[in-house]
Amino acid sequence: MDPDQLAKAFVEHYYTTFDANRAGLASLYQDESMLTFEGQKTQGSQNIVAKLTTLPFQQCQHSITTVDCQPSGPVGGMLVFVSGNLQLAGEQHALKFSQMFHLMPTPQGSFYVLNDIFRLNYA
Amino acid sequence: MLSTLFHFHDPLYFHALGLDWEGIRLERGREKMEEHVEMVGRAFVDHYYHLFDKDRAALSSLYQQTSMLTFEGQKIVGVEEISSKLNQLPFDHCQHEVSTIDSQPSSCTGGIMVFVSGSLQLPGEEHHLRFSQMFHLIPTPQGSFYVQNDIFRLNYG
Repeated sequence: MDPDQLAKAFVEHYYTTFDANRAGLASLYQDESMLTFEGQKTQGSQNIVAKLTTLPFQQCQHSITTVDCQPSGPVGGMLVFVSGNLQLAGEQHALKFSQMFHLMPTPQGSFYVLNDIFRLNYA
Repeated sequence: MLSTLFHFHDPLYFHALGLDWEGIRLERGREKMEEHVEMVGRAFVDHYYHLFDKDRAALSSLYQQTSMLTFEGQKIVGVEEISSKLNQLPFDHCQHEVSTIDSQPSSCTGGIMVFVSGSLQLPGEEHHLRFSQMFHLIPTPQGSFYVQNDIFRLNYG
């Protein structure tokens, strides 16, 4: 698959899972995965999923505006840079966010998230 | 604060930050590595935007032949093409102001991911532009870092 297509497929899978079944994100992270969410750092799949499932909102809807990707190095890693909107249930206005993922290939031919950094974009 | 400790205008200081990497990784554990990664991220961001705003042509020192830049969706490869693109942006002067810097170690032996958000003021424009940018820094044999990956996006309101 072409890297741009791969990036788009990953992004769609990630946010669909996030919005429908946040605990399902666990399979995308491993022990050495790192998340920095609005400046707060977490490491390891269990801790990351605990963080994401305890965010102070039940329902949300991500809509993606831009996806950029680049290969990260000789071992087949991929960087994915996303910007979009995050609509929380009950809120009148959507929040804007940017997020970067560093995906690493698994022996099974899939990818996992090694690095994940999320920031809301305030005006 | 970092600027008083580290003389961020001095490129030698930024360039020396990579030297103790292996020592820190092997002897001092995860916390020290996190501190180091954050320090490198901040020093790099200071250095990068200082050059961008004051001496844009000098940014070429931070890229190599394999470097990649995606600027507002446009993909550019290699230090020469990247320098060309940055030098030809449709404004002579600009001022970056950084709001947030997040850094993490990437897997590539000593590599560092840096994620920045901030605002960009262009002369004559009433309102500043908001932007997000990510850098993937790779250590050089000389103990410095270069930008292997660079992705820039404006954040429209």
